[in-house]
Amino acid sequence: MDPYIYNIPAALVGAYRGRRVIVRSHDPAELAPILAEKNKENLCCLQLLSLTGDIGALLLGKASVPLDLVMSSPYSDYPQLYDLAPLLSRYPVRVTIPVVPGFSKAVRLSSSLNFPVKLEVTQPDSNLVQEMAEVLAYYLHHSTVSQPIEFFHSLLMAFIEEEPLNLWTIQEEDPALFRYVTDQGGETVSPRLAPLDEGQNPSAFLETLITKLLGEKGECTTCEYLKTCRGYFKWPRKDYACESVKALLKTVKEATDELRQDLSAYQKTSGEDRP
Amino acid sequence: MTGTHLSLILLPTLSCNADCDYCFEVKTNDSLTLDRFALLLEKVLAYMNEQAIQKLTIYWQGGEVMMLPPEWYEQAHDVIQEAAVAKDREIDNALQTNLIGYNNKWNRILFQMFGNSLGSSLDYPNLHRKLPGGSPHEFTAIWHRNFQVAKEAGIDIGVISIPNPETFKVGAERFYSYFVDDLGITNFQINTPFPGGPITETKKTYPLETDQLTKFLLDLADIWFKNGYRNGVKVGPFDELIKYFIEGDAQLPCIWRDNCVNELVSIDPNGNVAQCDCWVTSYPEFRFGNIFSLNSFSNLLKNSEARQRLQSRPRFLIQQEDCLECDYLAICHGGCPIRTYSNTGNLFTKDPYCHTYKSLFSYMEQHAAKLAQSRISGYPKAKKSFLSDIKR
Repeated sequence: MDPYIYNIPAALVGAYRGRRVIVRSHDPAELAPILAEKNKENLCCLQLLSLTGDIGALLLGKASVPLDLVMSSPYSDYPQLYDLAPLLSRYPVRVTIPVVPGFSKAVRLSSSLNFPVKLEVTQPDSNLVQEMAEVLAYYLHHSTVSQPIEFFHSLLMAFIEEEPLNLWTIQEEDPALFRYVTDQGGETVSPRLAPLDEGQNPSAFLETLITKLLGEKGECTTCEYLKTCRGYFKWPRKDYACESVKALLKTVKEATDELRQDLSAYQKTSGEDRP
Repeated sequence: MTGTHLSLILLPTLSCNADCDYCFEVKTNDSLTLDRFALLLEKVLAYMNEQAIQKLTIYWQGGEVMMLPPEWYEQAHDVIQEAAVAKDREIDNALQTNLIGYNNKWNRILFQMFGNSLGSSLDYPNLHRKLPGGSPHEFTAIWHRNFQVAKEAGIDIGVISIPNPETFKVGAERFYSYFVDDLGITNFQINTPFPGGPITETKKTYPLETDQLTKFLLDLADIWFKNGYRNGVKVGPFDELIKYFIEGDAQLPCIWRDNCVNELVSIDPNGNVAQCDCWVTSYPEFRFGNIFSLNSFSNLLKNSEARQRLQSRPRFLIQQEDCLECDYLAICHGGCPIRTYSNTGNLFTKDPYCHTYKSLFSYMEQHAAKLAQSRISGYPKAKKSFLSDIKR
């Protein structure tokens, strides 16, 4: 069986039949008929790329297929989330939010409406890292947050369970799992990486990147988060200084330790073996 | 409605046997005929079918629901059961009555249609609930008598209570003791009053003074935690708030949902449709339309400008007020539209009881933390990641 999940434009559904797909479109009305199809076992997820369209067609269905709402301008578009909240009673829904100035408003409202959130991050500057740090604190310590904010959530879980999960996998950009098919039909790993150099094999992308980074004796060679990060923040610019994002990872790691202590204290006070 | 469950606040009559000072409804002698009820239900079920909504809960309110005889409800129940089977939909019923017209003749339909339970309302001290030309004392005496008869018949009764300045004077301890110890009520909730409908001297005093209201509610919560929380006494909204802060999920009242427009609608006996009972009876300019005048209930809801205005309220609040910065946005969303509009004349501002709500949320959050004994519930550990859905 084809090992990859293909993120394809809705227009290419026919061409990828029989393969596992994430289908994306700007138009809710284009996604609704795909949901109505009887055989959906290869449909892994739908992605709605525009949040201003009429979602009426989607509200007529109900399915276990996840729906990913991808924001493009979180600072200005966040009030629209109120109109999208009814989708939660119909599908497993997530909001994907690009880390751009002011994105935290969209995170706060998404979370307050009970949407899981995925942050789409590239190489954030210091101001954006500060905003990410505020969102991380909100995720970790705010009592009304009851849904994941990624990548923080999966990273926290991976640290707790001591799983070898890395950011490429969490962010759904792992070349071993995902392929992104451009509107023109070309294949790459993720929109963040498109286009790859001509002739470059997507499957070899990650290993090639790590080999290069370690070969150049940069900060990755001594980074305690290398196994977790796998050079995620060194793309596309290898000279990106990771100090500030490492502080974020450190905060997640410290929260793991704190949580372990809490769990331990809870077990002692409750007399139970496991919480 | 956009979810998979529709709540319908149905007013089968606008006639009432009481004359309460703070009533927000404009009363008339209009009542719904059974034929019109059958037609109304048919239209609602057709809408549910179009929108793939499986479940309907009808909240029967008035006027006063018991101004119609029990036989009327028995026939309405037959209509409901037949329609539910024919349209393959689940329909539940809930009744809200002032109990003044209650007698044992109601017991059969209360059992058959309402699961042997009902909601009523009483204040302590009672200053404003009265019979026409009567006193609050007379109202309370009849209520007590009928409450006891219903209780002895095994009917489960929940009570809504609205505080007033005298409530603050007697204090939370006596208030709690009145309902739980004197009357044996184990399920009651506190609602805040608002000046909807025709203005009266009582309504001119609203909103209640928030510092006094807040102190009363926090004192009452203290007493509930001490005496009732672990002894099967439910006090709304405390019980659901504490559940929310411990378990991360709860059935919070409609005033704190993200957008009540997505969840409920109200219809009066003339077929007028609006957001809830106060809007439909007292604010004609906020009606969505008339269900008997249009073939499609879907189109009525979809095309109503009044409904669109209400639906847009949270979007405005999040940009114009300080709600986005509030720690409790997730459980408030700017509060109740009718409480806001009736107090301020402006739909696009936050609930006038904001300060009280925040204090109550904060208190419940802190108390939940103590109850949980650790911060485990503060981490969203129990939730699976979206990635696990995708990777299937």
